[in-house]
Amino acid sequence: MPAKPRVAFFDFAGCEGDQLQVANLEERLLDIVSHIEVVRFREIKTIKLDDYDIAFVEGSITRPEDEPRIKEIREKAQVLVALGACASIGGINCLKNFINENEYMATVYGDKGRWYSTYAARPLSAVVKVDMEIHGCPIDKNEFARAVKELLLGKIYRPPDYPVCVECKMAGNICRYEQGKLCLGIVTRAGCGACCVTEGSVCWGCRGLLPEANMDAAGQIMNEHGFSWLEAQDHLRLYFGYNGRL
Amino acid sequence: MIAYTIYLPQVKGLLKKWSMDLQVFVPTMVDDGFYEFKSWSDDIEISWDYDLCYTSLKKFVLPAQEDLISFDMKKYSAGAVIEAPKQLLFGVHPYDIKAMNQLDQLMDTDSVDVNYRARRDNTVVFGLERVHVADTAFWSGVEADRVDHGYDLYWTRISPGAFFVQVGSARGEEMLTMDGPVEKASVAQKEAARRSHLKVMAKAQKNTLNFDWSKTPDLVNKFFNNRTFWREKAKTCLSCGSCNLVCPTCYCFDIKEEADDLLQNGRRYRQWDGCMLSGFAEIAGGHNFRSSPWERYRHRYMRKGKYIFDKLGELGCVGCGRCVRACTARIANPRKIYNEIWEAIKNEV
Repeated sequence: MPAKPRVAFFDFAGCEGDQLQVANLEERLLDIVSHIEVVRFREIKTIKLDDYDIAFVEGSITRPEDEPRIKEIREKAQVLVALGACASIGGINCLKNFINENEYMATVYGDKGRWYSTYAARPLSAVVKVDMEIHGCPIDKNEFARAVKELLLGKIYRPPDYPVCVECKMAGNICRYEQGKLCLGIVTRAGCGACCVTEGSVCWGCRGLLPEANMDAAGQIMNEHGFSWLEAQDHLRLYFGYNGRL
Repeated sequence: MIAYTIYLPQVKGLLKKWSMDLQVFVPTMVDDGFYEFKSWSDDIEISWDYDLCYTSLKKFVLPAQEDLISFDMKKYSAGAVIEAPKQLLFGVHPYDIKAMNQLDQLMDTDSVDVNYRARRDNTVVFGLERVHVADTAFWSGVEADRVDHGYDLYWTRISPGAFFVQVGSARGEEMLTMDGPVEKASVAQKEAARRSHLKVMAKAQKNTLNFDWSKTPDLVNKFFNNRTFWREKAKTCLSCGSCNLVCPTCYCFDIKEEADDLLQNGRRYRQWDGCMLSGFAEIAGGHNFRSSPWERYRHRYMRKGKYIFDKLGELGCVGCGRCVRACTARIANPRKIYNEIWEAIKNEV
């Protein structure tokens, strides 16, 4: 990799909210950009070059024609980074995987449904090898900055492998289960600083299932706290849809 | 023993004086039935009769995240970062004081943890006699019902408007007289404080160990190889580490580093860790000494019941009951586990 790696951003099915989070780094971006050369990032510049070392890819793979494109990016990039929930875990695009194809085509495109090709949504890793994942919906801009700096220092950033509960305890939050609420923090990968719980909500699971999540226990615990598995499943599918363990 | 009597109206004046020099934290209700230590201000309502503050007080001496070193990556130089704000914890229950005394021993042994020590030296502790017992607490069974050191003053509310205040250090006594002379306590007031202690002790008998706590190390040691027991108990363990993180005596931390955006300077910081987390005992090369949840689960009870005892002669558990509450799977109750083991093998010869 050159001393000043060339960085490109790409997007598939997603809202580009993760790239927006990168742009939201604002003045910090100037410091970080002094070590790299951004050759493609449509949210902040018009230039588009096809030679790059690091590719940040946002969005899920949802169409047959996405596959050759992501494979080409994979071939050109030395490091491919999945940016955000849609790219790293499939994210909310996978909600459609639980619905009949005719139904979601009609819901989204009406009678023009047959004009579009689409199939079950999947994360990048279902199609190509992914070197690094930055989770979240949207991503945490500080975590993004950290991951980039680690890449520049020759390391691959490893997101936390513990659940959001850890960060809730560090923040001093009252457990949502004590308040009678359903919270997915118990099986969701941390790294967000438990931001949603700290702000008064519950964890929605946007950073994906923990590598070692004990789903049997989670189901039992939710049930004991008064949430049936069917009710819990609606929440779990919001982000964990692609996971085979559901 | 030196003791004074302080009347409620005097407290506010003293708080004002103290808060000029240090940041004062007092127990207050933050949500229905949930108490926390919050920074004192004139309009905060102090919960003198709180049963348990939700998060442990270790955060005041061992914050969840704390910088240790700052370094320069161009010059290859580094310097220590020691931050120690002056603070007063007013209203600490004896079990939490015992926990802090235990942390003191652990952090000071061998190579002194300078960051911890600096914070601790700048922390004034005013104990408070309990009125209520949290329904998850069992401190009466693990010798954490009273402490004889670790506080600068120890307050007992002997009537709606008066406190019996025992002096624990010269610093404490000095602070007590900051806002004018105070009255020496009488024998009758001392007796009132004693009765107040007996009253809360009677309440605490409901939840306790069914045996003498000093048998615990031997008990858990005998049960170490009972895999069926530990596996069964840990079946619903989420490995979330909540029991560790809310524990006032758990002090394990991980060390991490982060560079600044210009990649010139960096900081090394520590962050709470817990032996129930899956990556806790994972080492370079990917080997994990305790890869199964049940091994980690057993380790925690061994740690609290035996390993700390082997080091210090007391249990690593002060019976505050925070873990019992924090565990969503309801499997982190040391009282229950130790009692079960006791019932299983008490008749063995």
